[in-house]
Amino acid sequence: MPEIHIERIDEAVAVRADFQGGVVTPVAFRRQRREHRVARVNARWIERTGRHPCFFFSVTDENGDVYQLQLQSAELVWWLDSVSLEG
Amino acid sequence: MGTGTDRIVLHVDIDAFFAAIEQQRDPRLQGRPVIVGAGVIASCSYEARRFGLHAGMSLGEARRLCPHAVILEGHAQVYRCFAEVIFECCREIAPSVETFLDEVYCELTGTARLHGDLLGAARALKERIRARTGLSVTCGLGPNRMLAKLVGKTSKPDGLARIEAADADAFLRDRPIEQLAGVGRAHARTLRSMNLRTIGELRAVPIEALAALFGAVGRLLFERCRGRDTAPVSAREVPQSISRETSFHRDTAERAEIEGMLEYLVGRACRTVRELDLEARTVAVRLRYTDGEGAERARSLASPSDADPVVLSLALELLHRLFTRRVALHGVGVTLSHFASHVGEQGDLFDGGGTFRRESLLRAFDDVRGAYGHGALVSGRALHLKGRLAEDRHGFVLRTPSLTQ
Repeated sequence: MPEIHIERIDEAVAVRADFQGGVVTPVAFRRQRREHRVARVNARWIERTGRHPCFFFSVTDENGDVYQLQLQSAELVWWLDSVSLEG
Repeated sequence: MGTGTDRIVLHVDIDAFFAAIEQQRDPRLQGRPVIVGAGVIASCSYEARRFGLHAGMSLGEARRLCPHAVILEGHAQVYRCFAEVIFECCREIAPSVETFLDEVYCELTGTARLHGDLLGAARALKERIRARTGLSVTCGLGPNRMLAKLVGKTSKPDGLARIEAADADAFLRDRPIEQLAGVGRAHARTLRSMNLRTIGELRAVPIEALAALFGAVGRLLFERCRGRDTAPVSAREVPQSISRETSFHRDTAERAEIEGMLEYLVGRACRTVRELDLEARTVAVRLRYTDGEGAERARSLASPSDADPVVLSLALELLHRLFTRRVALHGVGVTLSHFASHVGEQGDLFDGGGTFRRESLLRAFDDVRGAYGHGALVSGRALHLKGRLAEDRHGFVLRTPSLTQ
């Protein structure tokens, strides 16, 4: 059975997102000049440890890779935290 | 249904909590045996439990029983975020809620007129939790905490069960002694050696005999085996202990690195203590050597404290006494316990207000860290970790952050 490896990325990325109904949902993100379309939002959670909340998303792109994105609400910056690779 | 004044407690247990979140975050893990933990299993999915895996089992044994299980080290901060949402859902239906990492007690006494059918309210709570977090929980309703938890256990996972006070006797009588709250492995061994196998059989033992065997716990067991438990559901959460521990990224015997890590862990633990407005009386340091041996030593402070330097000074003293073998360390941890309410440190009459300045300084540190993350300020020996460990907004990224505290 293939293993799951988590690779930290920690870089700011450009994200296209849907803000309908007061809920933010990432639609696509650009990394290394390549656009990854979000095929599915697997999980979302909010971290409230700092003064401003951070919105976290686990998403699967069209290739089936699983990424973790976060929106830092203080600076309105999107970060790509990590990618989970199978194999 | 009861009279409305009858006590009723709802116990909410998050099913396979950490593993369920990991399966949700990565759909490729769904339907597969998933283990979360480092060294031992902190949580495992129901698929893994079919192979006999359970929390507390060593990872070596788990790998032997289920070689194809996916093992993850865990993301404590993520689990806390999910738990907070569940606690919030519980607070919406209950006037008093007592929360733990993966379970909640809700006091529902006197809320029958508000909720109507309490089983229906519990069912609605389960649905709300699923809608907001995607997680399943098991709910147990009973006339006290112990029975509510126990009846829930009979319907896991994703279950809902209720027990009335009148049915408690029959419900408990034939259950194995180990299922009684307060009977751990050691107590169970003692009781079984006396040929006491079921909760019903324990009722034949006089309270004096149980007290002589187990002290205060014996008196509790005397009540509990009869289905009686008067412990309240208290909103104020005073933990028994606060632990921070981690494995090193690479086993080490370097004093500076070990002391730096200990200072960092003490800083994080003390910050939590201050957030809860408490002061710790006892400090324990725990070491894990690379050969699997462990060592732990605890000592009490002269007076309870929440100040990093006071706790650290004792923790370093304990470390120096403990770390005597010429073997590298795999991990280190600190545990603070025996908490008292914060009253402020007793200052020295001639220290020129140093104690009070230090207290203000630590509070200012907490404010900065609250706004910008714990990693915004790093002090003393912990600076040694800079550049060696990755950092995020919570501070250094530890290899195995404490999953339970």
